[in-house]
Amino acid sequence: MTEVLLRGLTKIFHGHEDVLAVNDLDLRITSGQITALLGPSGCGKTTTLKMIAGLLRPTEGDILFEGESIKGVPAEKRGAAMVFQNHLLFPYMSVGENVGFGLKMRGVNKDEMQARVSEMLDLVHLPGYEERRPKQLSGGQSQRVALARALIIGPTVLLLDEPLSNLDAHLRDEMRELILSIQRQLEITTIFVTHDQEESVVLADRIALMFEGVLQQYDEPDSFYERPVSKRAAMFFGGVNFIDGTKEGGHLKSELVDLEVPNVDIPDGPVTLTIRPENLALGVDGKNSVECYIRSHVYVGTHARFKVQIGDAEFEVVGDASSVREFKDGEVVPLIFPTEKIWLVPQEEDAIEDVPEDD
Amino acid sequence: MLPEFETEIEEPSAVAIESEEERRSRTGRIFSYAVMILIIVVILAPIIPIFIWAFSGRWFYPDLLPEEFSLRAIKYIFSPASKAAEAVLKGGSIALIATLLSLIVGIPAGRAIGLHDFRGKKLVLFLILAPVIVPGLSVLMGIHVAFIRFGLAGTVGGVTLAHLIATTPYVVMVMSSVFSNYDPEFEEQARTLGANVRKTFVHVTFPVIFPGVLVAGMFAFIISWGQYIVTLLISGGKVITVPLLLVNFASGADKPVTAALALLFLAPSIVIILITSKYLTGESAALGGFGA
Amino acid sequence: MEKSIPASGIISKTLRFEMFDELRERLHVPMLLLPAMVVIIVLFMGGLIMGLMQSFGYLPMIGKTDFNLNGYINILTDESFLQSLAVTSWIGFASTITATILAIVTALVLRQSMRGKRITTFIYQLNVPVPHIVGAIGIIFLFSQSGLLSRCTTQFGLTQAPADFPPMIYDKYSIGIIMEYVWKTMAFTGVILLAVLQGLGEDYEDVARTLGANGWQRLRYVIIPLLMPGILRSSILVFAFAFGAFEIPFLLGQRYPRALPVLSYEYYHDVDLGFRQEAMATSMIIAGLITILILIYMKLTETYVRSD
Repeated sequence: MTEVLLRGLTKIFHGHEDVLAVNDLDLRITSGQITALLGPSGCGKTTTLKMIAGLLRPTEGDILFEGESIKGVPAEKRGAAMVFQNHLLFPYMSVGENVGFGLKMRGVNKDEMQARVSEMLDLVHLPGYEERRPKQLSGGQSQRVALARALIIGPTVLLLDEPLSNLDAHLRDEMRELILSIQRQLEITTIFVTHDQEESVVLADRIALMFEGVLQQYDEPDSFYERPVSKRAAMFFGGVNFIDGTKEGGHLKSELVDLEVPNVDIPDGPVTLTIRPENLALGVDGKNSVECYIRSHVYVGTHARFKVQIGDAEFEVVGDASSVREFKDGEVVPLIFPTEKIWLVPQEEDAIEDVPEDD
Repeated sequence: MLPEFETEIEEPSAVAIESEEERRSRTGRIFSYAVMILIIVVILAPIIPIFIWAFSGRWFYPDLLPEEFSLRAIKYIFSPASKAAEAVLKGGSIALIATLLSLIVGIPAGRAIGLHDFRGKKLVLFLILAPVIVPGLSVLMGIHVAFIRFGLAGTVGGVTLAHLIATTPYVVMVMSSVFSNYDPEFEEQARTLGANVRKTFVHVTFPVIFPGVLVAGMFAFIISWGQYIVTLLISGGKVITVPLLLVNFASGADKPVTAALALLFLAPSIVIILITSKYLTGESAALGGFGA
Repeated sequence: MEKSIPASGIISKTLRFEMFDELRERLHVPMLLLPAMVVIIVLFMGGLIMGLMQSFGYLPMIGKTDFNLNGYINILTDESFLQSLAVTSWIGFASTITATILAIVTALVLRQSMRGKRITTFIYQLNVPVPHIVGAIGIIFLFSQSGLLSRCTTQFGLTQAPADFPPMIYDKYSIGIIMEYVWKTMAFTGVILLAVLQGLGEDYEDVARTLGANGWQRLRYVIIPLLMPGILRSSILVFAFAFGAFEIPFLLGQRYPRALPVLSYEYYHDVDLGFRQEAMATSMIIAGLITILILIYMKLTETYVRSD
């Protein structure tokens, strides 16, 4: 039950050129919360994780556990246990010895160690695996052993590096369930790093989105869909519908359309409108409706995705399963932008395209 | 087996240096620098007096440096009186022939081991490894009698043959490593394009394995060049190569001459291994110098 | 309707052609191996076998047909042989253990990214191509009683004359020999261990750190176990060499007891040819011991190649 506070955390790597990996990061992670550090490659999330673990020293700033600075505390004394992406089970030890490693370092006696190891293995659904060797384990199993190994020392903070990335879909679900149930049970503050927005959404209570070492948005998962902080953040979460225009009071004026927009806390001037495909509605007339031309569609069984065109701009709309019968390619139909579902972000000059990484 | 994962290319090599900073305490850093200096001193220590002695004139105890430097020893080495030139010639030609013969038999054997799996491979591997590690003296004492019987003892030919025991396994080891990284489909491709066996070898196979052949050849040369007890035993002292000459001088009282000859002995070894280190790293390179 | 074809002729021709091809295919690999194997089997195995036979007093080639164990009995009951065995074993173990410990320390230091790493690593490997004989000469120049080190101590007033300097070569602890072996093989083992360490990276140690292991614990429970395969493999090679080599104890060793290889050589060259059997027996014992080591080495390399 540890609150983690990052204050002005900065990391510069000195080499041929100086690299600013983490830039003035302020983050407050409530005790018992699962937090995702999310972002594309090179955004500083793993660096941050390693600083919390004590494996890297911050250039500036501070890290506090329960209000006390642990900046000078060496990694081996912090109690911040880390599960690495490639598990790193000691190949020359048995599963039991691996799990008990942290206890052995603390001088716990053999009997107690055995009992706790067996307890941990039960917890990760690998009962009786003490004598197996790491070589004999599957990917999912070795990850669970790595998890048990980290948990057994009763860490103050649990750190996970890309916990679901290596697993296929089925194992991913299993692992997710396991992490969630353990975390709830033990109430451990958990921080994990991922480049996959879906992974972050299914696991985290709150997500910290980072680009180039800078924190963009720290929010609950749904905010990134409904209320992203920028166009780039929206795009990272799969947002595809954008209109650049000028905000005047409660209206957005653009080349394509004039729309009524909600009273968002953003100054008048150049803005970008964004709205999720699920929130646009085809074939409905009324306030904020625009004529659009249906270019193509994909029927996915449970729903359908339409690509429609307004002027030069393309939009994606998600409709329910029956919509394929209602709307045909080539038709011109009204498209409604429900005011309450519209979100505005500051207009960016050159929005960077983050290549979506799906493993 | 762990599934393939994409390592995040987040941190540049600057990280390596930075992470080091985290791991090392101040005392650790001082210790590391001390060890590095110690390494340099220890490694160079035995070589330095050799250099000084080789160029020294009068140098008496307890002076740390010679009273006077001179080229006497060097000049002597290069004069006919020292027999050094003869030894270089003899040792060099024996090494050359031994190298050639080893390559001829070793390249095909290396191919067989590197590319194919077959019954009895373990035995073959043992037969390749054993001559490298089993001391030559044991083998030679056994075979000496046969050499005498066949009139090979005391001859350059006999010595060359004896050197093959040491050089052939090394060549096979290097070549098998080369071939294990070699893709025979290149040859099949050439054949389908109309090249016959000879042309395929000349234009496809050989260019690819050439660096390996070079390395193997250089290893073999160095090993033969440096053989002492083998040459001594088989030739009964009649065939004088550089190491034999050197040991003779070493037992004598003329330190400068000994040192000068040691440098001469040393020269080709250093040149060759410096060249081959470009092509080999780690264990194979270390093994090559092992028998030096 | 069946046409009569001179089938037998064509069939037998085809059969022969196919058989020839298959034969060629089957023989391909053995043919590649043959020349090298002939060389090694005739010269190496032949030498060992003849040595073995001569150690039993049996060599029809020169008319000896008296099969007996006298050679072995004589040396195994001989005080000087046993002393030589003890000295040689001492040299082997002392050199191997010292070289291995130094190699571990230097590999751990050299794997760090620090200033001067490249130069130091380069110099570190410099003595690998230096022949042992040259190394031995260098040791003599440095450590003999009138050598460079002795001159230093005299300059600093610690000694007055050569005789004051402790004997390090031709001495009863074989210090000079051990130093030469350590000097040469430290880099050999160190290079191998360095490659292993650099291949592994620091990740395992990071895991251990987050689990609470301090520096010494990481060394003992993570680094050394990970290095163990490399340590064992190179130690075996170093020991085999330190035990069986002739040149260095010949140049740097004491008069009595001599190292085993030197002893066997002396037996061999004894004016009284009657020691021939003893010489062979001695060299066979050396070869036998080392062969056992090779088998262990092969066993080890096998298991660990799998897990690489």
